[in-house]
Amino acid sequence: MYLLEQLINGICQGSIYALMAIGYAVIYGVVGLVTFTYGEIIMMGSFSAFYYFILFGDNLFFALIAGFITAAVVGIVVHKVCYQRFLDAPRYISLICTIGMSMFLKNFATIVFGSEMKGMPAFFAGKFIEIGTIRVGYMQLLIIGVVIALSLVLTIYLKKTRMGMKLRAVSQDKKAAALVGINVKTTTLIGNCIGCGLGGVAGILLGVYYNSVLPTMGGMAGLKAFSSMVLGGLGSISGAAIGGVLIGVVENLGIALTSSGLRDVFAFLLLVLVLVIRPQGLFGKKGN
Amino acid sequence: MTEKLKTFYNKRKTIILLVLFAMAIALPFLIEKGSVMSLIVRIMFYIILASSLNIINGYSGQFNIGHAGFVLIGSYTLSILAQLGWPIWVLYILAGVVTSIIGLIIALPTLRLRGIYLALVTLGFSEILRLIALNWTGLTGGPMGIKGIPAPWFFGLRSTAPHNYYFIVLFFVIICLFTSYRVINSKVGRAWMSIREDDHAAMSLGVDIRKYKAINFMFGAFWAGVGGALMAPFYTFIDSSMFSLDEGFNILSMVIIGGQGTLIGPVVGSVVVNLTTEIFRFADEARLLIYAIMIMAMMWIRPQGLAGTSRSVIANRSLGKERGTFLKKLLKKKEVK
Repeated sequence: MYLLEQLINGICQGSIYALMAIGYAVIYGVVGLVTFTYGEIIMMGSFSAFYYFILFGDNLFFALIAGFITAAVVGIVVHKVCYQRFLDAPRYISLICTIGMSMFLKNFATIVFGSEMKGMPAFFAGKFIEIGTIRVGYMQLLIIGVVIALSLVLTIYLKKTRMGMKLRAVSQDKKAAALVGINVKTTTLIGNCIGCGLGGVAGILLGVYYNSVLPTMGGMAGLKAFSSMVLGGLGSISGAAIGGVLIGVVENLGIALTSSGLRDVFAFLLLVLVLVIRPQGLFGKKGN
Repeated sequence: MTEKLKTFYNKRKTIILLVLFAMAIALPFLIEKGSVMSLIVRIMFYIILASSLNIINGYSGQFNIGHAGFVLIGSYTLSILAQLGWPIWVLYILAGVVTSIIGLIIALPTLRLRGIYLALVTLGFSEILRLIALNWTGLTGGPMGIKGIPAPWFFGLRSTAPHNYYFIVLFFVIICLFTSYRVINSKVGRAWMSIREDDHAAMSLGVDIRKYKAINFMFGAFWAGVGGALMAPFYTFIDSSMFSLDEGFNILSMVIIGGQGTLIGPVVGSVVVNLTTEIFRFADEARLLIYAIMIMAMMWIRPQGLAGTSRSVIANRSLGKERGTFLKKLLKKKEVK
């Protein structure tokens, strides 16, 4: 029973990772560059919700929207500083630039927001559904629901709308997209903003789930997002989602069997194993 | 500028090297302040670490961003065995050997991987090693770290005072740079560079890529281990938080700022980065902000690094077809207006 409960915790946490990874996959697909700033964008989203709760009261729905917008705005800054200039340059240049940006945002947040841990308001505290002997919290259901809803919206957006079509075209081939008359620059920027916004929402969910926000929370979150995406296969959105859930489940089952200090060891061990056995990721295509 | 310096250096190689060596020897006698001296020792640690990373990233084109993991292995190897009473001098080398074996173990399954996948594996390994060090309390002291690491005997002096420890570090820095220089200008070094430029072409010319990549990783890891081992007796205390991913990024920034794929680059990077962070110490937390801005500005203005030439492939591609610096571009824009 204990293991089953951990499994549910894992799915819940994994769905937050999945949302982060989906955002990352959108960014990676459209921009085509790896970023280390993503964790800090998650953190910024989380903090925007924290201040939203203080200023306007505890309304989770509007806080999520505020987080999306804040993260998207930060995304524009990151795009201007780290990607736009280096799209054709060797990849590591923009990578280093994002490392610098991540350092900047982290320390900026530490100075402006303070380095101590801040509490988030608890939603549905202590409320849960009992199925047999297993308890599933309202919060967990809400998180899973939000993640599923957002992924559905994103899928419809990418598949059915004109803008989504442009985004997919750009992520497949920038030159060909430009040839058929798509404004690659703007589309890249918009794609990056959407990815960052999803990351911001995931950050809020993470903050609400653990009832705390920290300026340094981004580093590990960003790495988990990155790992989830690579686990599923670079740039594949559904793969990223599955990778995220998988990492969440493995982590929680792992700490249930050993000690909680080893949480991240399991995540990275899974990642290293997958990369060594199947470098293109679980659902990636060969030859990349 | 760099071209002129290069020709000047090539003309009077021996004299310049001798003068530099004499200056390095004289340095601790000229500087009395302990704090300045310990800054210099710290710079020299990072020269070793950045050079070792440069061997991996700059010369064979593999992308290792979890270098802190190797440093951790070296540091902990020395600290644990030193507490059991092993002689420190032997341990410096042994730490390097252990680290290079770990480097081989990491390299073997990852030889197939390239670019970002390899980067991710090294990152994961670095973090796994740190978390193991944090949680294996019996061996590593866990969150408490290891205290009271003894310093080696050196001409009858057993002291961690920076003035004495400087000579030990200087010894290893010279050996590190010298061996790197020799290896890079050997068959092995040329094989690494051919892999960096084009691995398929290298393979078709009969370069055993897997073997040379593994050697590359081992060589880099060896010096990272020695560098980590050197750090431990100087600080007399280590814990796992000293080897976080940020530390790995820090070393990487030094290599990039100095200039990848040049022998002198990591030296320049280490000096510049450590000095600037030291100068801005008064700014307290904002110090890291300045560092971050410096990294980004570097990528905008001079992505090939301070010591890299403007003829480098990196420099040309990133700034578009036209050559010239960022400042020149700015000036041009003004003229148009």
